[in-house]
Amino acid sequence: MDFELSEEQLLIQEMVREFAAAEVAPIAAEIDRNHRFPEELIPKLAEVGLMGVPYPEEFGGAGADYLSFTIVVEELARVCASTSVIVAAHAGLAAWPIFEYGTPAQKEKYLRALATGEKLGAFALTEPGAGTDAASGKTTAVLDGDEYVLNGSKIFITNGGYADIYVVTAMTDPDRGTRGISAFIVEKDTPGFTVGEREHKMGIKASSTTPLYFSDCRIPKDALLGKEGRGFVIAMETFDGGRVGVGAQAVGIAQGALDASIAYAKERVQFGKPISTFEAIQWMIADMATEIDAARLLVYRAAWMKDNGLKYGQEASMAKLFAAETATRVAGKAIQIHGGYGFTESYPVERAYRDAKITEIYEGTSEVQRMTIAGNALRKHKATK
Amino acid sequence: MKIVVAYKWAPNPQDASVGVDGAVDWSRAKPGISEYDPVAIELARRLAEATGGEVIALTAGPKSVDASMARKAALSRGFDRAVIVADDALEGAGTTELAAVLAAAVRHIGDVDVVITGDSSVDVGAKMVPTVLAGQLGWPAVAEVTAVSGSDPAAGLLRVERAITGGTQVLEITGPAVLAASTDAAVPRVPGMRDILAAGKKPVETLEVPALDVPASGTTVTVTATARPDLKARKGQLIDTADPAAAAAELVAALRADGAI
Repeated sequence: MDFELSEEQLLIQEMVREFAAAEVAPIAAEIDRNHRFPEELIPKLAEVGLMGVPYPEEFGGAGADYLSFTIVVEELARVCASTSVIVAAHAGLAAWPIFEYGTPAQKEKYLRALATGEKLGAFALTEPGAGTDAASGKTTAVLDGDEYVLNGSKIFITNGGYADIYVVTAMTDPDRGTRGISAFIVEKDTPGFTVGEREHKMGIKASSTTPLYFSDCRIPKDALLGKEGRGFVIAMETFDGGRVGVGAQAVGIAQGALDASIAYAKERVQFGKPISTFEAIQWMIADMATEIDAARLLVYRAAWMKDNGLKYGQEASMAKLFAAETATRVAGKAIQIHGGYGFTESYPVERAYRDAKITEIYEGTSEVQRMTIAGNALRKHKATK
Repeated sequence: MKIVVAYKWAPNPQDASVGVDGAVDWSRAKPGISEYDPVAIELARRLAEATGGEVIALTAGPKSVDASMARKAALSRGFDRAVIVADDALEGAGTTELAAVLAAAVRHIGDVDVVITGDSSVDVGAKMVPTVLAGQLGWPAVAEVTAVSGSDPAAGLLRVERAITGGTQVLEITGPAVLAASTDAAVPRVPGMRDILAAGKKPVETLEVPALDVPASGTTVTVTATARPDLKARKGQLIDTADPAAAAAELVAALRADGAI
């Protein structure tokens, strides 16, 4: 086994730290406080190639592997979870299905624009009545001549309103359940497509989360991604990768909270000594560091399996589940170490605590991850009996 | 225009620790490009972009400066190629010796128009290499450089701005020169993803000292001792008077009483 990152991955890690310290850290608290989508960061991220990390150079990407992308998301989240979500949803959720299932023309038109960061992407599956239960989706796409006509709505769409290119799932055959779901590419400003008001969220406040509305929205027939009826498979495969990304976000949030806690514990003096010398604090730091390391190893393994063409759905679920719950636990302990100061906006750990929670929810709740993991474990046991 | 940036692959003092006896433990210090050298690289890239020139990385040191990671870390910063003098004979080399080797490497590269260095190295901080290097080459040395452009690259003319006390000095230099960038001359660019992934594919020429024409020097400098400054006893006197005028009067009186003013 080789637990070492490659030289390129180490340099990428160093580069993102440098970028995040220079460009993201100075605005992280402000954009959170003001719920401000950091539009000015997108061209800066694009300039250093962070909007299309895992895509080939021929499509404008950096040509790196998925583990490198995972490191990028982690390092951004260490400083600003909102920024990491924007990048992860763009490159991990919107661009991936186009790269994997797009026609050469779709890749040329959309993937290139996404990978270079010229345009921002979003992925839209969730509906008011269909979150985990995708088969209950009510958004429909009906073929009419050379066009599909979309009707319905989506909710909780990351990058909504700021994205230029949306990958949207819709029912083309409602009687077939998940096999009746198809995926489409919808451009912003398409007549009949509107974006609703931004949600006021508990965390990742600088990211944009909106509903989308489709009312007799006509898109060309060649906007279909893959084949009709393959939308659910496309979404699930995209989410496998997306879960690695959420796991990376969670690891980054947790690491940022630990870094802040260690710095604070060394500076904060009580009873004449830095609180880092007290066993109660040391044990918390030990648990935090150990859990983060375990979470990171799970996340990196899942990314490595994806890079090596192995089936990694189970490992992605485990990584996402463990990393997300680690982030919440670690951020809670970080506030405890900071005491009353940790409960204020003067220190970054309260933001980490709010930002961590969503990682237990989006791209499959922890409960869904447990269902998936248990289902696979039970099947595997049966198969080996 | 052929632009050389002489950089140092140096241990980062942030990871070093100082013992109670004042001895510095460098064993945990992670090596990297010396802190101010990216500023020199940025000036060089801007000059190259303006003049269509080539930017060549140059470093000298023990074999570790030619490690794969060290090469990639340097080349990802925007260099076109690198010339690396890697020889364990340079372990612990002094300023004069290192500058002589760098000068020989500059002559080896040939037709160099300008050498740009950082303000000083992060580990030693002597600020000597640019000057000695220029002396070795017989070129002018300019320190505290804040900007450089090719006023007439075809004629080998450089327009150099340098910070001086209370202002800026503008120089026009004919022929090659060694320039030491001021620490805040430019904000270095973060390497891009493609720069990093392409770094391992860029040409590198690795040399040992005997391959270069380094003039022999009969003089050596050896650090025989280092000491921390003596700690001065402080009075720790606090003037806790709300009225600023009264506080100032109290301060003046205290300074007079001590013979400080």
